[in-house]
Amino acid sequence: MNEGVPRVFGRPRTRREVLRAAAAAAMAASVGGASACASEESPTVDPGATGKEPEVTFAEPATKLSGDLKILLWSHFVPSHDTWFDKFAQEWGKRVGVNVVVDHVDQAQIPTRIAAEIQAGEGHDVIQYIATLSQYEPSVLDLKDLVDEASSRWGEQLELCRKSSSNPSTGKFYAYSPGWVPDPGNFRKSLWEPVGFPQGPTTWDELLTGATEIKKSQNVQLGLGMSQEIDSNMVLRALMWSFGASEQDENERVTLNSPETVAAVEYMTNLYKQAMTPEVFSWNAASNNQGLVAGKLSYVVNSISAWRTAQESNPDIADDTFFVPALRGPKAALAAQHVLYNWIVPEHATGADAAKEFLLHYTANFASATYHSKLYDFCAWSDLTPDIGDWLGDDPFGAKPADKLAFLSDAVPWSANIGHPGPASTAIGEVFNTFVIPNMFARAVRGEASPEQAVADAERQVSSIFDKWRAAGLVGG
Amino acid sequence: MTVTDQRVEPTPVKELARRTLADREGALAWLFLLPSVVYIIALVAIPFGLAIAFAFSDVSAGDPSFDWAGMVNFARAFDDPVFWRSLGNTFVFTGVSMVFIVLLGKVLANILVADFRGKWVVRFLVLLPWTTPVALSSISWLWLLDSIYSPIDWVLRAVGLLGKGENMVWLGEPGLAMTSVIAVHVWRLVPLAAVILMAGLVAIPRDIDEAAKVDGAGYWRRMLEITIPLVAPVIAVSALFGAIFTFTDMAVVRVLTRGGPNDATQVLSSWAFYRGIDGGDVAGGAAVALFLFPLLLAVAVGILRVVRRIEVD
Repeated sequence: MNEGVPRVFGRPRTRREVLRAAAAAAMAASVGGASACASEESPTVDPGATGKEPEVTFAEPATKLSGDLKILLWSHFVPSHDTWFDKFAQEWGKRVGVNVVVDHVDQAQIPTRIAAEIQAGEGHDVIQYIATLSQYEPSVLDLKDLVDEASSRWGEQLELCRKSSSNPSTGKFYAYSPGWVPDPGNFRKSLWEPVGFPQGPTTWDELLTGATEIKKSQNVQLGLGMSQEIDSNMVLRALMWSFGASEQDENERVTLNSPETVAAVEYMTNLYKQAMTPEVFSWNAASNNQGLVAGKLSYVVNSISAWRTAQESNPDIADDTFFVPALRGPKAALAAQHVLYNWIVPEHATGADAAKEFLLHYTANFASATYHSKLYDFCAWSDLTPDIGDWLGDDPFGAKPADKLAFLSDAVPWSANIGHPGPASTAIGEVFNTFVIPNMFARAVRGEASPEQAVADAERQVSSIFDKWRAAGLVGG
Repeated sequence: MTVTDQRVEPTPVKELARRTLADREGALAWLFLLPSVVYIIALVAIPFGLAIAFAFSDVSAGDPSFDWAGMVNFARAFDDPVFWRSLGNTFVFTGVSMVFIVLLGKVLANILVADFRGKWVVRFLVLLPWTTPVALSSISWLWLLDSIYSPIDWVLRAVGLLGKGENMVWLGEPGLAMTSVIAVHVWRLVPLAAVILMAGLVAIPRDIDEAAKVDGAGYWRRMLEITIPLVAPVIAVSALFGAIFTFTDMAVVRVLTRGGPNDATQVLSSWAFYRGIDGGDVAGGAAVALFLFPLLLAVAVGILRVVRRIEVD
């Protein structure tokens, strides 16, 4: 007898089950809303897919290890990664005789936590963040030996990871960067098909044409942020690079005030007027994900995590969401990396040897990280993920069509580090974290300054930041 | 005369010691003050001293070693257009917030001291915004002010003030964003001001009010000529609290706008944080934060002088 028992998702549920499910859903929604990118629940593997979960490999450490290893890393946007990682780290610890403690915190809290631990001179032995940690260079170990060892085992490290973890001025590897995440364009096929772009835009000009038409005919706006948040920082740099502009050159000289930057700002002003609304000035890092999943945006630039979320929460939208590589501009087709894994070992770390050995073990098994992050994480040593092409071509996690992510096999040529064509230096980090670039675009787009004036003012701010860190010996040029 | 042999019981040593300590008011005063003194030294004086030291140094998030840098951090702050914008925003944020906090606090205090059924439930509800953690309440407001899903917009659309599919974009327009930040901050601090003012209102002897009533004074006359002058020092204290809490607050700005759009809601405290912690320039952030001190000191001294003058009068 099930009288009075509600039917939810096919079978009768008790009131307690319904309440639990509601509480879990509310919690997931609140966590998702606060994250920089959307996250989804446990992975659902497509039994028909050809890709299989990789086996974990193990190599004996070079030296006998003991003691504790305290690891701090972000709460991954794909929670199944953390479930795998925690078990993986514990099992390695048991095999090598190290007591491993893993702490996860929201990515936004990590810089504050690192600053506090460095000031206190104690804390975790190894810390991971999803962007460059160049500002901590003076207080962390040089990991050149680790990078050299990894490169001798697995070949050349991906350049964008190398440029985001080393300082050419000091020659120091302030971080170890074994992985990254691409940042493609996400578009709604049902919106772009009627305006003549069934495969989505391929250039910035096509984006302007298509998005304008979609806004006019279907009243759905485009979603490129100009707010003080991380995704705006990423996409606006992609636009600048595609127009041949950049904050610095490869020798770390400030080059922001250029005709190319002005052209990029003018393009964005036009794009905003034709296809966007003022909401893009108010966004936080989760806003474009939420708008895409809700069907309120025609195109955003983001990793695949929002779409993975939609696979669970809104399958119709997920099936209608497709991807394109970086859009081509007058000079190039480049996008910023969406996430860049930086692992640092602070000088105060007592488990530095264990940390380095663990990082080698983690890198050797990066295929597992890629798989358990549902193809979110990409490796800095491509040979370590030999199956990635198969996975992307036949998604093990239920993409429709199964080859929806196949284009990511060629993501490296159209991806660049923050600070491109130079390194992701301390100065670049401060420019990034104080949102100079989104504000430069926003001022011109809102009409508060002409494009030329907005760019000139931004260059003054950037130059001041560069001068300061150059005086500290951390920036070249 | 009979002399009786009265034996005096010796006082136990412990009791004597206790009584002695209990009788020594000076020692007791220090004992009771000690936790506050330790608290102030550890969490106010030392960080304040460190902030001064950092502001004249080259300390960064990655390099805690202290090197003297003179006034260079202040010079950089003064050259920075965001600093001046933040300073202006801080004055607007504080000034407008204070006016509303004191006005609405006074209105709310009058309601709270009134005698009516369900008074305790109303008092509990009124205090909720103050007792709710700021991060939690600000995130609720973040949803209420969302650019697409704002329930406030739903209501405005329902009553016909917004067209179909139209949104206010509360946090995307500079004026609306500052209004939103101020509104949320006022919502948070009004209960505190109300409780402070309520204490002042309760302390007014009832016979003064009753005598005025007998003399034929109406509500507004009693309010303007008796109640407000008598609680003026308390109003000044609540204004001082409001000013200090507002001047130094960055929680609402950080959660709602992160200083945007285009630094339109950036205040000195949030800019100090972004520059010092996220940007890694601890010394630069300290210089910006330290700029709050003379301004706060001037506000505090000014208000306390006014209070003193009122009391003397």
